[in-house]
Amino acid sequence: MTPVIELQDLRVKLGRREILEGISCRLGAAGAGKTIGLLGPNGAGKSTLILTLLGFHKASGGKARILGFDCHKQSREVKARVGFMPENDAFIAGMTAVRFLRVMGELSGLPSRVALEKAHEVLFHVGLGEARYRAIGTYSLGMKQMAKLAQAIIHGPELVILDEPTNGLDPSARARMLQLVREMKEEHGMSVVLCSHLLRDVEAVCDEVIILKGGRLVHQANLEEERRANRRFVELEVSGDDRGFGAALRGHGAEGVSEGGGRWRIVLPPGVEIDVVWQLVARESLEVRRLTHRRDSLEEIFLKAVGHIERTPHENALPAEQVTNDGRL
Amino acid sequence: MAVYKRGYTRYQGALTGHWARFFVLPRFAWRRLLEQRLVVILLVAATFWPLLCAGFIYVSNHADLLLGFDQKMSAFLRIDSRFFVIFMNAQSVFAILLSAFAGPSLIAPDLANGALSLYFSRPISRVEYVLARLLVLLGMLSLVTWVPGVLLFFMQSAMAGWSWFASNWQLGVGVFFGFLLWILLVSLVAMASSAYVRWRIVAGALVLGVFFVLAGAAELTNAVLRVEWASAFNPGRAMNQIWCAMLGADPIPGPNATFCFIVVSIMAALLLFVLNRKLRPVEVVS
Repeated sequence: MTPVIELQDLRVKLGRREILEGISCRLGAAGAGKTIGLLGPNGAGKSTLILTLLGFHKASGGKARILGFDCHKQSREVKARVGFMPENDAFIAGMTAVRFLRVMGELSGLPSRVALEKAHEVLFHVGLGEARYRAIGTYSLGMKQMAKLAQAIIHGPELVILDEPTNGLDPSARARMLQLVREMKEEHGMSVVLCSHLLRDVEAVCDEVIILKGGRLVHQANLEEERRANRRFVELEVSGDDRGFGAALRGHGAEGVSEGGGRWRIVLPPGVEIDVVWQLVARESLEVRRLTHRRDSLEEIFLKAVGHIERTPHENALPAEQVTNDGRL
Repeated sequence: MAVYKRGYTRYQGALTGHWARFFVLPRFAWRRLLEQRLVVILLVAATFWPLLCAGFIYVSNHADLLLGFDQKMSAFLRIDSRFFVIFMNAQSVFAILLSAFAGPSLIAPDLANGALSLYFSRPISRVEYVLARLLVLLGMLSLVTWVPGVLLFFMQSAMAGWSWFASNWQLGVGVFFGFLLWILLVSLVAMASSAYVRWRIVAGALVLGVFFVLAGAAELTNAVLRVEWASAFNPGRAMNQIWCAMLGADPIPGPNATFCFIVVSIMAALLLFVLNRKLRPVEVVS
């Protein structure tokens, strides 16, 4: 199956600085309707990657393909199949939303009459139906975000690239935006690339995620599989002698890594409940200072990928000699 | 079914061709320009001089009306290259004013509001975007330049007969290509100004400034250095000299048409350079 995005040792230089330093990956599958999350700290190269995929930057080495088309050599074919929602303000001044979307639709190849129909249709879809005859310049930030989303999907693209779509949105608008992204993939079969700093947004809608740091791909994860694994993460802080705690956890099928100072990161496998942790803490005569319990794993993955934590407890990537019997690093 | 009940569906039909997409930008831009009152007023005002010239041609072709005039007056009323050069000089001012009012509204707002990333994420290249914007100005400025000029030429040909047309056809060609050259220069100035300053009002002032300030600076240089070549840097005067050469009229004092053409070409190249630098979907800070 053709991947939605295929990168082969992609390198991009802006001026003398190399922004992307050889990224290789295959993401999504054409027509499968999946959402790919693009994560990374500021300056990681996320926007550069998006702009290179759109043909705005020329790769200094390697290849980038979207839906099987070369992003540079077959830029026209790529752009005909892609909808882009930029991060910053982007609209045509002095135009009503209907006319703006009509122009965008016609530029994407919709016949004039169809473009007008679709403009109305998509504006109602994103919740701007009542404001569609207002000039976009008079819209609030949240409304502009929705208008940007509308112009990205008016022509029914196969791939929609969203750059920070929930920026500046209030909680209800944010929920609406994420719902629209979910509908795009589930009901309309579009593939979506979502670039966001908000891990919760990515976690809520993405099936795959790649994490960039310093222009390199540091992690690629399949969130669907992570969700299926149904692991639960516990952050625990205890006082007392916790040297036997790691072995005790392993005895119950759980994995734990001590970060020192009584702080533990624990992964509970499916079927093992949080009560087990309480029982083990009581058995080891430890005092619990803090316990946080969550089901999601993206934050864990992200922090590990960008180097804020050493490793995820369940991971066996580190050599055994680096981990003591009691789980300490 | 009412549109609000319909819900969103992906478009699966046939897409329009490349040229249909290309003409979307000029089509909507013309519509927006004609919604501006000032542009319409200028377009109407630009018809007065051609109407006056048409009356002049009518009078000059009716000998019975000239019977009472002396020879000097008869020579004044002759329709020749001098007549068309004067006509072109007057209309060129309207072209500057129109481009100053209409030109900046084509590009500056797109840059100020980040619309370029929306255009260029569609199957439209930077060159096509510039050509589409150029076409908008070309269409509008044609209405006040070569269209009335060529109409006047054909009016004169119809009234004066085949022999006049056969011996003066180069006037019609000169008017057409001379004005096209002027439109190209004026449009590039308008587009480069709006791409450079991004603020519509300032861009409009910059367009006027390029023509009027350069004219003043050129004459000042001539006066201070006691030379004539600086006139070539006055776009209006340089173009006037080129038109004289194209229409076969007596040249005006100053640098010759070839030198003026070279200077105008360099100006156009600089303006294209500015457009190339400024019209990008994203700004890269090195």
